[in-house]
Amino acid sequence: MNILEANHISKSYAEHRALNDVSISIPKQSIFGLLGPNGAGKTTLIRIINQIIMADEGEVLINGEKLNPRHVEIIGYLPEERGLYKKMKVGEQLMYLAQLKGMSKSEAKTKIKKWLDKLSLTEWAGQKVEDLSKGMAQKIQFIATVIHEPQLLILDEPFSGFDPVNANLIKDEILELRDKGATIIFSTHRMESVEQLCEHIAMINKSEKILDGTKKEIKNSFRSDKYKVEYKGDFSGLGAEYELLDTKHLEDGFYEAIIQSKNGHNPNHLLSQLIAKTEVHSFVEVIPSVNDIFISIVEGGNKR
Amino acid sequence: MNKIFLVLKREYTTRVKKKSFLLATILIPLIFPAVIFGIVYLGTNDGDSSKEVYVLDESGYFEDSFSNTGYTYTFLSSNLDEAKEKFQEDDVYGLIHIPEIDLDDASKTRYSDFSFYSKTNPGNQAMKDFEGEIKRKLEEVKLDRSGLDPTVINSLKVSVSLSSFNLSESGEAKESNTDLSSAVGYVFGFLIYMFIFIYGSQIMQSVLDEKTSRIVEVIVSSVRPFQLMMGKVLGVGAVGVTQLLIWIVLMFTLFSVGITTLGGGMEAMSGQMPAGVDMTQNQEMAANIQGMLDTIPVVQIVVSFLFYFLGAYFLYGALYAAIGSAVDSMQDAQQFMLPIMLPIIVGIISLTFVLQDPHSTMAVTLSMIPFTSPIVMMARLPFGVPTWQLLLSMAFLVLGFIGTIWVAGRVYRVGILMYGAKVNWKTIAKWFTMKV
Repeated sequence: MNILEANHISKSYAEHRALNDVSISIPKQSIFGLLGPNGAGKTTLIRIINQIIMADEGEVLINGEKLNPRHVEIIGYLPEERGLYKKMKVGEQLMYLAQLKGMSKSEAKTKIKKWLDKLSLTEWAGQKVEDLSKGMAQKIQFIATVIHEPQLLILDEPFSGFDPVNANLIKDEILELRDKGATIIFSTHRMESVEQLCEHIAMINKSEKILDGTKKEIKNSFRSDKYKVEYKGDFSGLGAEYELLDTKHLEDGFYEAIIQSKNGHNPNHLLSQLIAKTEVHSFVEVIPSVNDIFISIVEGGNKR
Repeated sequence: MNKIFLVLKREYTTRVKKKSFLLATILIPLIFPAVIFGIVYLGTNDGDSSKEVYVLDESGYFEDSFSNTGYTYTFLSSNLDEAKEKFQEDDVYGLIHIPEIDLDDASKTRYSDFSFYSKTNPGNQAMKDFEGEIKRKLEEVKLDRSGLDPTVINSLKVSVSLSSFNLSESGEAKESNTDLSSAVGYVFGFLIYMFIFIYGSQIMQSVLDEKTSRIVEVIVSSVRPFQLMMGKVLGVGAVGVTQLLIWIVLMFTLFSVGITTLGGGMEAMSGQMPAGVDMTQNQEMAANIQGMLDTIPVVQIVVSFLFYFLGAYFLYGALYAAIGSAVDSMQDAQQFMLPIMLPIIVGIISLTFVLQDPHSTMAVTLSMIPFTSPIVMMARLPFGVPTWQLLLSMAFLVLGFIGTIWVAGRVYRVGILMYGAKVNWKTIAKWFTMKV
């Protein structure tokens, strides 16, 4: 069951086409990475899902139901550009934002207390936001995003602005929310965070979706039968089935080489050949990171 | 609707809780009358009550005859040059020079030869005072010489004052008071102008704050931009109405307290004074005030004021919200302010002409156009406005603010999410037509 399906979404601003026939489906309780360089159209898509703007064409389904105003209550959105009312007290602010999401006052009160306790911010509840440190304000913002226990959490560059400690804290909270049943959309151009967290990935470049699938599938499809070998003692003559792409002399007679397999043999075939010729210290298949894939696609315009 | 209310509540409570609100709400009703009283006081007393004036009287008619209480007169007996010299040296307000005159020979008398010397430009009132003094004395002397009986002369004089009446269709004549109507009209027109200005800016500031603090994107993921805008406009408006009501109550209380203490003082005084002259004057004045109030349609004015007050506020408040959404800072907002302020300024300036002739074509037209009608119609009302005109003007105002709210809403929904864009009227027009 998909919590969200966006079908053939197009959106134009005056002369600029921000999204062109983009479709994505997001399975329930998954962490979905929405990737793309700046200006690719990620934020436009997110704003359409949040009903901040409307698509020119296409439709968005949430739990199989056409997007409607009631859905704002099951979505939590953390925009890339953060902000809170500076002059408002933390507790009042969270209460206001929770009520805007349709929560009752008493319900919101318990949840606010729970979350402030959890992120050890209770003593700050009566302070104005302008008196908080940036990290604390970010945490408050995160609480505001999840306070109404959204089924779908949309986080736009969630870790920007967090120090590593708080970033980890937030990451753990996100995973916990997922385990409790929430679905999370990550929008980012920073791939490291995606590599760890996301199970599904869609990549948008120049207003179009250029890649979509599970992280595993995508990585597999970008395998290029390259192997990285570290060995002691030089050798030559691997035969026509293999090509030595790059060798580096390390030290003490150690070498590192990238070998391209051309015949689709399994790794054991190459390994057995290497063992016959040299002393193998490490042998690993070169699997591209999401970052590599991203860069190769964006830079090469390498549409598959 | 519920969400509009939440936004409204936030706007209202955060504002009302501010210290500046409390301060303004309590202080203005105290300061305002104090300032007016101060101005009136200074105006009547003309500051220093014993300004010294030298009089050089070469005609000999005026000895000790200057009696205006605002000044102390010192008569000089020298020639003009010496008098001027003395005047330069001493710290006195002015020097009146009356040359030799021959009252019997009209051909030799030139009344324009009288002069007044001063170190600064004398005020209008002072000149009139001195002229009055000289004229009175000379007339007295001439009358005396002519041998006519002063009582005959006095009996020839008549004093006329036109009483003005409004004749209603039923033939009922109601006394009208032009001065009072003008004052009331001006005050109400001006109040609306002030209110638009103060609270319009507050809306704009509030929109701008949400935009610059970037919270707006979070908010519009929960509420429609239109709901946010309306909540804001209504919330700030509610603050204004609250403030106004508090002012009215405070001022009314102060006024009543002032009148009773004043009246009590008068009564106490009249006990000591012979024949209670002031007492009757006081009662007369009270009756006068009552009578004057009867000449203007009070209920109609109060009801209309509330209507135009809110109408004008919605009309302009929405536009202020749109401007706030379009720009990134207060400075950028300036260029859009003028065209919006212009109709208000036209309304205020036109008040002078409207009050001169409240039923002229211009006055009627301006009181129909929604952008000026709140100010101009309020000014016209004390003079009596045909009901059909009032209703038409109100209908136009309602259409007007529905229109501006619609336009503003369309600009607002795009503007709040636009950062760093170079905004001019063309971009705003583009946003207006944009599909969102």
